[in-house]
Amino acid sequence: MRTRRTTLCLIVLGALACLQGCGMASAESAPAMAPMAPAKSSAGAAVTHEELAQADAPAPPPPPPGEARPGPAKKEAPRAGEPERAAGDGKAEVAREHLIVYTATITMAVYQVQPNLALVERIAKESGGYLSLRSDNQITVRIPRAKFDAALGAIEKIGDVLHRDVSAEDVTDQYVDLEIRIKNARAMQTRLKQLLEKAAVKEAIEIEKELARVTQELELLEGKLKLLSDKIAYSTITVVFAARGSALQSASRVRLPFPWLQQLGLVNLLQLQEERTR
Amino acid sequence: MSLRVTPRVPSRPAPRRARRLAAPLLCAATVVLAMAGVGCGRPFRIATAPGFVELDGQSATGYDYRATSPEGVVMAVKVLEDEDRAELGFWTKSIVLQMRDVSGYAHLATVDVTSLDGTPGKRMEFAHDEDGKPYLYWVTVFAAQGKLFIAEAGAPKPLFERNRASVEWTMKSLKVKCDTLVSPVLASRTCHRW
Repeated sequence: MRTRRTTLCLIVLGALACLQGCGMASAESAPAMAPMAPAKSSAGAAVTHEELAQADAPAPPPPPPGEARPGPAKKEAPRAGEPERAAGDGKAEVAREHLIVYTATITMAVYQVQPNLALVERIAKESGGYLSLRSDNQITVRIPRAKFDAALGAIEKIGDVLHRDVSAEDVTDQYVDLEIRIKNARAMQTRLKQLLEKAAVKEAIEIEKELARVTQELELLEGKLKLLSDKIAYSTITVVFAARGSALQSASRVRLPFPWLQQLGLVNLLQLQEERTR
Repeated sequence: MSLRVTPRVPSRPAPRRARRLAAPLLCAATVVLAMAGVGCGRPFRIATAPGFVELDGQSATGYDYRATSPEGVVMAVKVLEDEDRAELGFWTKSIVLQMRDVSGYAHLATVDVTSLDGTPGKRMEFAHDEDGKPYLYWVTVFAAQGKLFIAEAGAPKPLFERNRASVEWTMKSLKVKCDTLVSPVLASRTCHRW
């Protein structure tokens, strides 16, 4: 009887220990997902989730038009008068949102291109964004992700939209992976520095070589994380003023076999032929 | 003074031979006239607005009618024979897709219009930049008597807007159906030859 009780107790304890272990593992492997802000830390320094959460992060962006954001429940910014949840709240940890990079490409009819390019740039600046690239018939702007939807709507109103392509890429895994690699690289760097202090001259040369390699890798990873943070914080909208072209068009629908349709347009109409001499 | 009464002589009937000759001559003349009607002219009527001039020798460009203002507002009409395979809605949609997707024109509006003879049509208003300057371009389409009538107008935007009334006037003057008494007799091939 005693043996049975002891066995039962051991099983229960074992199960509890397993559960605790799982919980810890998940807490460690699922890092805190705070809304991303543009990397504003000192140059070269990696931006961690905690730093991003502390920074003046923009509110989470609305889901792209016509679709709900995938993933777990969003962590919404606290409304006025509503108390913010405690940072240590376990539920809040689970409810961290996915990190998504929004990109939109809009093809517009070739009409009033220059005024419309200026208008797109103005909309971006008014939304707190900035101009990334501008050419004769194309413009790329970066918009804070909280204002992505509104800015996209405003841009679409300025002309005749021929084609619209909005994509949302979930980069949570990529971000977490980079963070872990940076953490490990930092730990390695610290350890190597400690070893260097105690090492003899011959060993010190080897350690310095390794330290240089680790430092270089760390800088590279931090750069990638900074870039990714910027992509998350600022959505990209590209507006192209051009015909979709026959290649794209043929992919989307059948090209009608009426030659007179291709002859329509200003070029043929305005090209007047010489009259015969009377 | 004496009065002479001439007896009334009945007129002599025309010789049979002459009557026989007159009938074929009349027929031949009618046929020649009809063929002349078929051979020349165009299957629509349009009035050129004051301030515009109709251009000659434009058929090589595929247009049946072309007129221009001194500043360069151009209007034109072309006729597509035997295009009764589809109704107006099909052609309207095809033109809009062609102009927007393939040529990159902005589609501003599609308006219901009626020709002078009461034929319903559609006017599609487009806009496009040429050499960095905005242009307006209208395409009006009518389907009548197995043919498709395409009326076009285009010019730089400010110029077009100044001449908008003249363009509308010309387009409204377009007749795509025959209104003569001979039309039922001469059937569809000759009906629209004015």
